[in-house]
Amino acid sequence: MEYLVVSLMFIVFLQTRFVELRRATLCLALQSALIAAACLVVGMSHGSGLHAWLPGVLTIAVKVLFIPYAILRVVNQLRDEREIVSDINVNYSTAFAACSLALGYMVIDGLLPQAEGRDILATSMFMIMTGLALIVMRSRAIMQMIGLITLENGIYLLGLIMTEGLPLIIELGIFLDVLIAVVILVILTSRLRLSFKTTDTNVLDKLKG
Amino acid sequence: MLTYILILLCLPPLCAVLALAAGFGNNILHWLHRLTATAVGVCVALMAKSFNPAVPYVDDYFYIDALNMWVIIIITTLYLAATWTARNYLTREERCGVLKGEQLQTGRYFALMQLFCWTMFIVLLVKNLGLMWVAIEATTLISALLISFKFTRAALEATWKYIMVCTVGICLALLGTLVLYYAQLDALGGEKALSWLYLHEHANSLNPAMTKLALLFIVIGYGTKAGMAPMHTWLPDAYAEAPSLTSGMLSGALCSCAIYVLLRNLVILLPTAGAAMMSSMLLFFAVLTVAIAVPFVVVQRDVKRILAYSSMENIGIMVAGIGVFSAFSLKAVMLHMYSHAMIKFVLFYIAGTIIQEYQTRNMMRIHGMIKDVPHTATFWLLGMLGILGLPPMGLFFSKFYIMASMFREGHWVAGSLLIILLAGVLIGILYHGMRMLCDKSKRQPLGDLLGATDVAVLAVLLLLTCVVGAGFENIPWLNNLLNQAVRIIGG
Repeated sequence: MEYLVVSLMFIVFLQTRFVELRRATLCLALQSALIAAACLVVGMSHGSGLHAWLPGVLTIAVKVLFIPYAILRVVNQLRDEREIVSDINVNYSTAFAACSLALGYMVIDGLLPQAEGRDILATSMFMIMTGLALIVMRSRAIMQMIGLITLENGIYLLGLIMTEGLPLIIELGIFLDVLIAVVILVILTSRLRLSFKTTDTNVLDKLKG
Repeated sequence: MLTYILILLCLPPLCAVLALAAGFGNNILHWLHRLTATAVGVCVALMAKSFNPAVPYVDDYFYIDALNMWVIIIITTLYLAATWTARNYLTREERCGVLKGEQLQTGRYFALMQLFCWTMFIVLLVKNLGLMWVAIEATTLISALLISFKFTRAALEATWKYIMVCTVGICLALLGTLVLYYAQLDALGGEKALSWLYLHEHANSLNPAMTKLALLFIVIGYGTKAGMAPMHTWLPDAYAEAPSLTSGMLSGALCSCAIYVLLRNLVILLPTAGAAMMSSMLLFFAVLTVAIAVPFVVVQRDVKRILAYSSMENIGIMVAGIGVFSAFSLKAVMLHMYSHAMIKFVLFYIAGTIIQEYQTRNMMRIHGMIKDVPHTATFWLLGMLGILGLPPMGLFFSKFYIMASMFREGHWVAGSLLIILLAGVLIGILYHGMRMLCDKSKRQPLGDLLGATDVAVLAVLLLLTCVVGAGFENIPWLNNLLNQAVRIIGG
């Protein structure tokens, strides 16, 4: 589990560094794969039957395979793949991620002293904050989507460690929601490309007041 | 009861599939749409008739008590209104050239509308707080497709903001739900995970530190969905850019759903988290929401955005009512939910009609409605009087009760602030609305486009608010239902 936590932290830090959409998507797939591994480890050690392996397998199917595939399909249609941001912006989101890691540890120590999975709880807080940072600080539609999935992964990991997974039917519902959300966001992104000739959400500033 | 629930949950998706796949002509589609809604309406009426507010219906997945029965009635009324007026509205939209390639579009619109109402019914019927979350997220996703229906640039922008802000908010609510589940595991063990009924029975044994944390996330999360400031930024854009029928449903029905889920969660969390924290938090957010809405109402030029900001104001009032948390104020919130849903639907529908008649959304260019389009103008006037809470309409009573309860329970500062802010909203809406009605028109409308069905439906909605708002105490069944609902929330 320790290896998993460390590699997850590393991957999420890496996620904040990418400006190229294809690599960022692959990084997201890797991040989801680690979550799936954590899910399987926790499932096998605690439960038995369907609930032990189904969420892990679904994570692989939905978040490791389908979502990156769907995002990559849109990315392939875009001519200009690099996110047009200055390096400072990327550095900000990395710096924010670093701060949120420290904050995650502080929050966990404050709320749940002597918790079992202290590291992994802090990591999930870190992922939630980083996901938020990606949504707020990055302007490309796809990067915001990636931020959303990172946020979702963080919450999922938190739930996994704190409660050993929600009841199966709720988890299935959440997977379905994530799936539909990504499908809709992909549709919207390709519509953005058709209407605005770009997927930079900075152009979405007409509605005011 | 279970039969009714199953019919309620089977018909809308069936209609959606038929509308999408079967390739019916426009006429059949319209009737399919209307008849499905009518069947669901009959179903809900039978349900309400056989339902005894004192004895909730429980089974493995569904749970019906007075609280969700009331919201189901609200949603069903709007659902019926939206389907029966859809025909005129869509024909006019097609004539104005906004919806081209009619056949596929009408089918798609109906399918999405049916699915949207279906997800809202699921929110209201399920017993489990986790499934409630899943269904609420599903309403966000389906309504996103409804908002972006025309795929214009503005609609895309509104939808993108809507999905991003709402999904983040809803994710926070999921976090809150997880914390609640953790508290449940800690105190009660893993059986009946997140079942509302079970948690309600054992609400006192949860860990207070955990429930406080959960309360924070859940209020922010579902508050975002309802349109509470400071996470309201999606609201004016989404309401303004969606087709008017959808705006009415979003403002009336979806907002009621979000508040319902918030109330359900509060029932679980309050015994341990304490009402004081919730009260101060909600009153603060309520005043903030209204305060943010006021300046935008006053300087507004877009006829639908002004209604969106007025929705924010009403959400603020409802949240304030929940914040006061006395039996009196909660009953008023229930009434407010109802009247606001009906009147706001009427207003959005009329705003859509005005846009079609005058071919502009800019209120500064619309004058002399009362002479040129008397029918539309009458409903616009009635709707405005209604939303501002002037006496004959239902909103007057509920607004008055909420304000009175604030002073009664000693929230003087928040109450006085709210009254001042509401005066601002009144001035803003009345000024803009009256300008549109009076004066001489410089722009010739296409004609009074309001059809006979529309007039009937809108008049019924307005009358219903009057009757329910003024006379709920004289209708024993209704009074009983509302009292029971308030008892469930525990004010």
